[in-house]
Amino acid sequence: MNSSIEENSSSLWKDAWIKLSKNRLALFGLAILCILIITSLLTPLIAPYSYEAQNLELGATSPSIQHWLGTDIFGRDMLTRIMYGGRVSLMVGFIATAVALVIGILWGAVAGFFGGRVDAVMMRIVDMLYALPFMIFIILLMVVFGRNILLLFFAIGAVEWLTMARIVRSQVMALRNQEFVEAANSLGLSQWTIIRRHIIPNTLGPVIVYTTLTIPSVMLLEAFLSFLGLGIQPPQSSWGLLINYGVETMEEFPWLLIFPGIALSLTLFALNFLGDGLRDALDPRASKD
Amino acid sequence: MNLKNDHYTVFKASKHKKCDFIFLSILLATCVTLTGCGSSETNVVAGNKSGTLYWGNGTEPQSLDPQIATGVPEHHVISAVMEGLVLKDRKTLEPRPGVAKTWDISNDGRVYTFYLRENAKWSNGDAHTAHDYVWSWWRALQTTLGNQYAYMLFPIKNAKRYYDGETSDFSDVGVKAIDNRTLQVTLTNPTPYFLQLLDHYSLFPVHQATIEKFGRADERGTRWSYEGNLVGNGPYKLEEWKINRHITVTKNPYYWDEANVSINSIVFKPVDNAVTEERMFRAGALHVTSSIPADKIAIYQEKSAPELKITPYLGTYFYRLNINTPQLQDKRVRRALGMAIDRKQLVDNITKGGQIPAYTMTPPGTMGYFPESTLNFDPEAAKRLLAEAGYPNGEGFPPIEILYNTNEGHRKIAVALQEMWKNYLNIDIKLLNQEWKVYLATESAGDYQISRGGWIGDYVDPNNFLDMFLCNGGNNRTGWCNEEYDRLILEVAPSQSSHEQRLKIFQQAETILLEDMPIIPVYTYTSIKLLHPSVRNFDDNILNQAMYKDLYLDANL
Repeated sequence: MNSSIEENSSSLWKDAWIKLSKNRLALFGLAILCILIITSLLTPLIAPYSYEAQNLELGATSPSIQHWLGTDIFGRDMLTRIMYGGRVSLMVGFIATAVALVIGILWGAVAGFFGGRVDAVMMRIVDMLYALPFMIFIILLMVVFGRNILLLFFAIGAVEWLTMARIVRSQVMALRNQEFVEAANSLGLSQWTIIRRHIIPNTLGPVIVYTTLTIPSVMLLEAFLSFLGLGIQPPQSSWGLLINYGVETMEEFPWLLIFPGIALSLTLFALNFLGDGLRDALDPRASKD
Repeated sequence: MNLKNDHYTVFKASKHKKCDFIFLSILLATCVTLTGCGSSETNVVAGNKSGTLYWGNGTEPQSLDPQIATGVPEHHVISAVMEGLVLKDRKTLEPRPGVAKTWDISNDGRVYTFYLRENAKWSNGDAHTAHDYVWSWWRALQTTLGNQYAYMLFPIKNAKRYYDGETSDFSDVGVKAIDNRTLQVTLTNPTPYFLQLLDHYSLFPVHQATIEKFGRADERGTRWSYEGNLVGNGPYKLEEWKINRHITVTKNPYYWDEANVSINSIVFKPVDNAVTEERMFRAGALHVTSSIPADKIAIYQEKSAPELKITPYLGTYFYRLNINTPQLQDKRVRRALGMAIDRKQLVDNITKGGQIPAYTMTPPGTMGYFPESTLNFDPEAAKRLLAEAGYPNGEGFPPIEILYNTNEGHRKIAVALQEMWKNYLNIDIKLLNQEWKVYLATESAGDYQISRGGWIGDYVDPNNFLDMFLCNGGNNRTGWCNEEYDRLILEVAPSQSSHEQRLKIFQQAETILLEDMPIIPVYTYTSIKLLHPSVRNFDDNILNQAMYKDLYLDANL
């Protein structure tokens, strides 16, 4: 019994890959993401300048041969700063979203699958957490554990899972009375196995779309927290922070806003294309070619 | 008073709108521009016709109680609705009659007798008498009120002893109402700046009946200074106070000089984002701004816009060093930090508003005081000092943290400083920003290592900048205490007979301060604002104080 399920699920992934590789936009998104991730990993080796060395006399200059993306008001190379900023932004985006994903899916699936009293209790907990002011929660965490980037990632993830849990729960509620679940039930599968093998793969579509939306919003959330002094601190930076500072001077030095904005938008598009492609590819209900 | 300075707000992130802030700010700009170009006329045009002044006031005042407020935005509103015995000339800052019509000063300079106006009244029509001052100053000296400016009254005889609890009898204190119209004030020492103090809000009179109606006299945060309750004696009365929206004051019909008040009402707008404020000004929503973003200054200068006003400002931007921090206990380390700041680079390329590099706490030229400094920019000497203190080339120096209140301008300076100290001294600096009120609490509790500070003169005298750093002074906050310094400021300087002698004593005190360096002066402020040309008689003075009743609006512009 078990082995046949293994086969089934592995073919799900194989099918998905075949479908995905036919989707050009999704492949494009995947390629962009890979480039961004590899660049981020290699940044300390390939960055043209130091991200903290200032040249106050130079100040903010528009793009030139020496500084391809110009310099900021401290005379620091923008290309370098965007590369280093990408490391922080991508890291916070992926880690925080991963945390949100794991907690949210498990919570929502369990609540939706069991329904009744379990569901009521679990969702009321979610409601309570929703009502808790987000800032107070983060500030409390920071006060108790000190300022630490990794902690920040987890703190954001620990807040972002709430919506995820609701989405997954509603999906599961719709799925759990369907025939294939009843069939699995009547075959005597344990409930945990049913959740894992049948319910979660069927909820992947909306989850992936929501994930691709969560990553950019998490990146901006990080900028907001950093601006309040709760996240990363100068001279380090992130895309969100660069954009935030760029907005202040968008009339005088537009390149300080445009280039980090492009970097963030590019990531966002890439994630969306990939997410769209993945949703189509992973939908078990879609017809197999 | 404490200057929070031009502070920039953060986009507000609600749970579901985190990514909207860029669009929000663009939207905001568009809205402002649209209101500017729309069919209805702008605030400025309408205001010029109706006699309404729109004033960018920086931030929401914490309180309009003159014996509780400490900041510059509060001052702008309080001085519209209240008035002291003496006013200042709007250009020269020389004393000019306020509630007191005339005054006598005894030959030894210790006894002041004020003759109040017959027609002085409160804004509800009550008679305004000399007894009001006795009661107000009694209130100002109640320790339970928590008046941070109580020390402004200490030149008055026995005021400090009363405040410290050494005498419980207020009649010992040198303030006496001889009759309804005559007030006699006795000072401990001849205090050349005493008349200037009377124009500071901590010595303004408050309306006893109103305060007692809403709570105890020494109770903080009662509703007496709110909309509809506040009774003052200034040229304007409080009409409306909508938190975070506006404060409106209108002409006070009972004001003694009512005939000479030209502007009918003033609307104070708490816009605490300098970028937004500048846009509002361009769109004609404000006559005056409280600041301007540093990077916008050059644009206005290029087209030599008459709206841009950059004028000297009696204030010092500095950093406090908490001398209880282990690595800052050695004064050689503190000196090294002070010497490794390239102030010229900072003012030329970061603040960009014509600020002057500061090497002393007191701004040069205060009452003819041009202090000499033992401080200069010398990275080599700084490195040697740090090595002598046991950290050759910064080795083994534990990372140190700079605290500043959340603000774009402060952040820029801290980031530049961080790199300078890294570069010249090879020490690691971390930055920590906190919201204004949290920052003040952290700093007052001594829970910091290095913290930014700004001090704007309350009156024009070196004393105002130097008496902050007395042992355990309310605004000291560095943990620094030097008995010789205290003696010079408290005893030697006040008892000097000539102005020149006093300045020499201040120089001695300043030298002690700079040698020990519990604070690092960075630059002398300039006042930078945008002012619509229709506002007349807004003369520049180094305290950046406008005399509201002299102002008028030229409707032709």
